[in-house]
Amino acid sequence: MGIEKLKTVLKNEKTNNTLILKTPIIGASGTYGYNIEYADFINLDYLGAISTKGITLESRLGNDGDRIFEVQGGMINRIGLENVGIENFIKEKLPVLKEKKIDFLLNIAGNTIEDYEKLALIASQNEIKALEVNVSCPNVKQGCLEFGLNPESLFSLTSKIRKNYKGFLIVKLSPNTSDIKSLAMAAESGGADCISAINTLRGLGVDIKYIGNKFIKKMVQGGLSGSCIKPVALYMVNQIKNAVKIPVIAMGGICKLSDLFEFILAGADAFQIGTANFQTPSICTSLALELCEFMEKNNFYDFETLKGAILNG
Amino acid sequence: MKKDYKGKIELIENIALDTYKMVILSDLRWANPAQFISILCGNKTMRRPFSISDFEKKEKESLTTILFKLKGEGTSYLKNLKKGDEIDFLAPLGNGFKIENKKSLLIGAGIGIAPMLFLKKELNEKNIENFLISGFKNENEIIKGSDKTVIGGSVMDNIEELIKEKNIELIYACGPKVVLKMVDELSTKLNTPSQLALEKVMACSIGVCRGCVIKLIRNNKIQNYSVCKDGPVFFGGEIIWE
Ligand SMILES: Cc1cc2nc3c(=O)[nH]c(=O)nc-3n(C[C@H](O)[C@H](O)[C@H](O)COP(=O)(O)OP(=O)(O)OC[C@H]3O[C@@H](n4cnc5c(N)ncnc54)[C@H](O)[C@@H]3O)c2cc1C
Ligand SMILES: Cc1cc2nc3c(=O)[nH]c(=O)nc-3n(C[C@H](O)[C@H](O)[C@H](O)COP(=O)(O)O)c2cc1C
Ligand code: FES
Repeated sequence: MGIEKLKTVLKNEKTNNTLILKTPIIGASGTYGYNIEYADFINLDYLGAISTKGITLESRLGNDGDRIFEVQGGMINRIGLENVGIENFIKEKLPVLKEKKIDFLLNIAGNTIEDYEKLALIASQNEIKALEVNVSCPNVKQGCLEFGLNPESLFSLTSKIRKNYKGFLIVKLSPNTSDIKSLAMAAESGGADCISAINTLRGLGVDIKYIGNKFIKKMVQGGLSGSCIKPVALYMVNQIKNAVKIPVIAMGGICKLSDLFEFILAGADAFQIGTANFQTPSICTSLALELCEFMEKNNFYDFETLKGAILNG
Repeated sequence: MKKDYKGKIELIENIALDTYKMVILSDLRWANPAQFISILCGNKTMRRPFSISDFEKKEKESLTTILFKLKGEGTSYLKNLKKGDEIDFLAPLGNGFKIENKKSLLIGAGIGIAPMLFLKKELNEKNIENFLISGFKNENEIIKGSDKTVIGGSVMDNIEELIKEKNIELIYACGPKVVLKMVDELSTKLNTPSQLALEKVMACSIGVCRGCVIKLIRNNKIQNYSVCKDGPVFFGGEIIWE
C-alpha cells in the first residue's frame, strides 16, 4: 500500500529545523522499549518512529512495590524510570536502531539541569536526530518540583539543552498544570522545535474489598494513561496549538482511527501511541495502514491534504 | 516470530468450584510448560496472563488449554465466552521450565497446578520419573491429574519427608507467593535445585513496560528481571522476595 502518502514533515518554521517521519505514528516512550521489542508484532518499516524508554545519565532500577494498576479505561504506572542509562543505550541499543534503520526519538529524563545538559551533549556527539525531553521529572535541586510545571524553569532548561544540542528538539509537556499554554510558550521561546503532549496525569488507584471480616486494601499512586485521559489530552493539545507556532505531537489514549482525526482537529501534527500497544501490540502499524487506506479510498493525496481537509473543511 | 494469535474457543467448561477449562484452537505452533498466553478480555486495558496447561499440535492447527479461576472482571469475561467465539491472545510468552533428566517433584498449589499438568505430560513422554503433588482449599476445588492431592492443609506439609523418601533431585513449583517462598527456602536447605513459576500483574506481557519486574541475584549482581519475558520461571536461591 502507498505508505509514502503518510510521510510527515515536522518543521520549526523559524529555524527550519525539520524532522521527517515515514508515517505520523510514533510508539510512545515507556511503552515501546528501546528498539526491536515489537518486531514480533509489526513491520517496523511502517512505524514513523519509536520514542525510546526515558533514558537517564545513570541506569536506574526504578520503584519497588506494585508498579502498575488497572483502572476503568486505562492504567496507572509508577515504573520509576527504570532504564539502562545513556552509556548502555549508546553501546547496546543504538547500534541495533542504526542497523535496522529504525527512526527514533531519544527520550531523556534528569534530576538536575546538568543531567539534561550532559544527556543533550551525548545525543549531539552521537548524531542523534531527534531528542524528546521528558520534563515531568522532579527537579532535585529545587525542592523536587517538576521542571515542566514552571514556565521560568522550563524556559531555562530548554535553552540550556538547546545550547548543547542542534538536532530536532521536542519538549514533552506534563499535563499536571493549570496553565499549559504558558509552558508551551516557554518551551518554544527556549528553543524547542516541537512540543509533544501529554505525559501521564497524576492519579491514585485504589482497591478495597471486604473479605472475611476485614478490609483488604491497596493504593497505587502514579501516572494515569490510556483512553480515559483522551479528553484531557485533546484539550491540552488544542491549548498548545493555539499558543505556539511549532508543531505538536499528540498523545493520550489514542487507540483508533477516529482518535487520529479528533487529535488532528485539536491541533496534532503527528501522534504517539502508548498504552494501546499493551492491548494490541500491532496497533501502530495497523493504524498507519488504516489511515492510509482511508486516504486512498477518499482521495486524500497526502497527510497534509488530509489535515487541511479536517482543519479547514 | 509471530506472537499474536486469533483463536477460536473449542471448549469451555466448569471443572471445579469457580474454575474453568478453556481449549483454544489456533495456529500457534509450539509451547512449553510454564509458558503462558495473555488474553485480551473485552475492553480491559491490560491483557490477562494464563499458564498453558496443555498443548496439542495438529497438522496445521493446535489446541491450547488453560485452566482459570474466577477472580474479577477479566476472568468473568472469559467465563461467559462460548464455543466458537474468537479469542485474541499473545503466545507463547516467557520461558518455560528447563526440563532435566532428574527425578522430579512437581508442586502445584491451587490453580498453580495448571502448568504442572503440562509439565507432567512432557516428563512422562520423556520417561523422566516424576511425582505431582497438588493442594486445594476444599473438595469442591480439586483439579484432577495429580499423584497426590492435599485437601485443606498446605501442600507443603510433610514435603521434606517426601523429597527424601523419593530421592527427589529437582523441584518444580507454581502457586501463591507464600508457597513458592517456602519451596525456595526448602530447596536451599536441602540443596535440591528448584524452578519456580512466578506471577506478577502484567501490562504489556512482552518485557517492555517494566511493570512486572522482580529483583534477582544473578552473577553476583542485583538486577531487575521481568516476570513476563525473563521469567516466569526463576531458580530457587536467586529470588529476592519483596
Ligand atoms: C504468568 C502468569 C500465569 C498465570 N496463570 C494462571 C492460570 O493458569 N490460571 C489462573 O486462574 N490464573 C493465572 N494467573 C493469574 C491470572 O492472570 C489472574 O488471576 C487474572 O489476571 C485475574 O484477572 P481478573 O480480571 O479476573 O481479576 P482482577 O479483579 O483484575 O484481579 C484479581 C487479581 O488477579 C491478579 N491480576 C489482575 N490483573 C492481572 C494481570 N494483568 N496480570 C497478572 N495478574 C493479574 C492480581 O493479583 C489481582 O489482585 C497467572 C498470572 C501470571 C502472571
Ligand atoms: C508504563 C508506562 C511507562 C512510561 N514511561 C515513560 C517514560 O519513560 N518517559 C516519558 O516521557 N513518558 C513515559 N510514559 C508516558 C507515555 O509516553 C505517554 O505520554 C502517556 O502514557 C499517554 O499516552 P497513552 O495514553 O497513549 O499511553 C509512560 C507511560 C506508560 C504507560
Ligand atoms: S508486563 Fe510489561 S514488562 Fe512484564
